[in-house]
Amino acid sequence: MFKVSPEIYKVINTASRYLFAFFALMLLLFALAWLYDERRKRRERLRYLPEAGNIGEMVVISGSDQLPADTWFPIPREGILGSLRSCDLVVPCPGVRARHLAFSWQDGAGLVIKPFSGCETIVDGISLMDAGKSETPVMVHGSCLQVGSAVLRLQLLSALEHTNRPFAAPAPSQEYTGAFTAQQPQPGMPFQQEPVLPFPDPQVPGYMDQPYPIDPPLSSDPAGDSSLPESVPDAAAASAAPAEQPPVQQAAPRRKRADRWKEDFSE
Amino acid sequence: MNRQKSSPRFRFVGAAALLVLLALLAPALREGDQRLYLLAGGVTGAMLLCMIIPARLFSLDRLILSLALYLGAVGIISLAPANPDAALIQLLRCSVGAVALMIGAMIIRIITPSMLTAGISSFLGLLLLAGSLLVSDLPFPFTEAALVLLIISFSSLLVCHGGTAAMIPGVIGTVLLLLQGMTVEAFVLALTVLLLLWSADGRLGIMLAAFVVFAGLFWGAAQLGYLPAFTLTEEHSLSLSTLVSAGLFGSGETVLLPETALPASSLIYPLSENYGLIFTGLTLLLYLPLMLRGASVAGTARSRFHAVMALGCVLIFSLRIPAALLAAFSVLPLPLTPLPLLTDSLPDLAVQMLTLGLLCGISSVNEANLAEDAHLAMLAK
Repeated sequence: MFKVSPEIYKVINTASRYLFAFFALMLLLFALAWLYDERRKRRERLRYLPEAGNIGEMVVISGSDQLPADTWFPIPREGILGSLRSCDLVVPCPGVRARHLAFSWQDGAGLVIKPFSGCETIVDGISLMDAGKSETPVMVHGSCLQVGSAVLRLQLLSALEHTNRPFAAPAPSQEYTGAFTAQQPQPGMPFQQEPVLPFPDPQVPGYMDQPYPIDPPLSSDPAGDSSLPESVPDAAAASAAPAEQPPVQQAAPRRKRADRWKEDFSE
Repeated sequence: MNRQKSSPRFRFVGAAALLVLLALLAPALREGDQRLYLLAGGVTGAMLLCMIIPARLFSLDRLILSLALYLGAVGIISLAPANPDAALIQLLRCSVGAVALMIGAMIIRIITPSMLTAGISSFLGLLLLAGSLLVSDLPFPFTEAALVLLIISFSSLLVCHGGTAAMIPGVIGTVLLLLQGMTVEAFVLALTVLLLLWSADGRLGIMLAAFVVFAGLFWGAAQLGYLPAFTLTEEHSLSLSTLVSAGLFGSGETVLLPETALPASSLIYPLSENYGLIFTGLTLLLYLPLMLRGASVAGTARSRFHAVMALGCVLIFSLRIPAALLAAFSVLPLPLTPLPLLTDSLPDLAVQMLTLGLLCGISSVNEANLAEDAHLAMLAK
C-alpha cells in the first residue's frame, strides 16, 4: 500500500497533532452549538403549542382564600395532586393532604384517579373510599373532583371523546326563522348538490355553440334573488319597537378562562 | 442568490468524519499498512451510515447517536497507531454496540411500567450481581447490565408502587456490589437511587429513610472490612505519569503501552499517549453535551416512567465519569475504572450503548408526542 518517506511523515505527524487538537475543539463547539440549536428550536415549537403535554385543565369551582374560584391548572398526563409545592397539582385547601392522590391519563378512558390511603376523594358525588377496589375511578370531561374543601372540574382538550354525557345536536332556533330558506341547507338536512352542466366535448362538432357552464351573475336586486333570506328584518319595524332591541353593548369585558373553556368545550 | 447556512448537525458530523479519517490515515501513511487503510475507510463510512440511516429509520436522537458513535470511533483511533489488529477488533465491538443502541431504542417502545416489568428486571439485575458474587471468575463483567436493569426496575416500581417499594431492589443491589468490593459502582447506584427519589418522589421522609439506609450500608461495609483501603497506590502514580507523559499535543512517537497494572480495558491511556492531553481533554468534554442532552430528554418526557428511566440512565452513565477521571489523575484514591464508551470491554460497551439507545428511544417518543400535539393544534385552527 501507499506510504510516504519518513521525512514527509514527520512533517505530517507534527502538523496532525495540532490539527487534531483544533478539530477536537471545533467538535466540542459544534456539539454545544447543536445542543443549543435543538433547545432553541424546541422552545420555539413549544411557544406555538402552549397546551403541549397537557390533557386539559382543572377549573376551581370552590376553593379557599389561597385558591379562589375560577383558578385553573393545566393537567399533565400523570402526576400527584396535593398541598405540597412539589406536587404536579398544588391544591392548598383545608382537608387536602400533602400528597392526596395520583392521577394518570389513559387514552380512550379518561383521567384515572388513585387516592392515597386515608385520603377522602369524591368524584362526581361518589366517594372513592366507599367504592370497591375493583372499580377504577375515571374522570371524564366535566367531571367534578372534591378533595378536602376544594371542588375542581375537569375540562379536557379531547372533550367529545371522553364524556359520559349524551351529545345532542343543537336544535334550530324557533325565534328567528329568516336565516335559512327552503333552498338553503339547514342543520340536520342532507346536502343536496345542484345540477352542474357538463363541459362541452371538443371532439363533438359544433361544440362552440353549446352552452358553457358559467356561474350566474350576482343579482343586484335582493327581491329577485332567491338565495337571500325571505324575511329580512325591516328597519321601520325595528324602529317601531325600540324596547325589544337588546341594549347596545360597549367593549366586551375580558372573559375569564373558565368561561372560554365553557364555550370551547360546550357539549 | 442566498447561500444556505449549514446547520450545527452537518458541521459536527462532517468534522467528526474528517477527524476520524485523518487520524486513521496518518499512521497508515507511515506504515503503508493495509489494515489501517481498511480501518480509515470502514470506520468513517460506518460512522456516517449509522449517523444517517438508523437515525432516520428509528427516529433516533441524532445528537446522542452522533456523540456515542464518535466516542466509539475515538476508542478505535486510540488503538490504531500502535496495534491495528486491536483497532479492528474494537471496530467489531463498536458495531455490536451500535446494534445494542438500536435495540435499546426499540425496547423503550415495548416496556411499560408494570409489576411484570419490575419483577423481571429486578430479578435479572440481582441475579447478575449475585452470579458475579458467587462465581468469581466470570468471563465477562455484568455489573453495567445489572445496574441498567435495576434502573428499569426502579422506574417501574416508582410509578406503580411509590418510592418505598422502588428503593428495595436498589438497596439489595448496593449490598451485593459492596460484598464484591465494587465500591464505586455501589456508590453510583446508591447516589442514583437517592437523586431519583428526590426528583421523582420528593417526600422528605422517604428521602431521609433512603439516605439513612444507604449510609448504614456503607458504614456496615466499612466495619466488616468490605470497603477497600482508600490510599493512593503505585497504580495511581503510574496512571498519572502515563497520562501526562506525552505532553499537551502528544509525543509524535507510537508508544506501545507497557504491560503494567493499569486497567487494560481503559482506552484513555493510549488516547493520551498518541494524541496528547489537549485532544484527550477536549474529547472528554464531549460527555458534557451528551449528559445535558440526556437530562433534557428526561425533563421533556411526558410519562413519569420515561422521565425517571431517562434520568436514571443519565445518572448511571455520567456519575462514573468524574469517579474514573479523579482516579486516573490520581486525585482521589478510588479504584481505576474505564470511562464510558472508551473501553475495550465488549459487555460494558454494549450496555453503555444500550443505555444511550434507551435515551434515544425516549427522545423519539417525546418528539412523536410533540408532533401529535402540533397536529392537533393545527386541526384545532
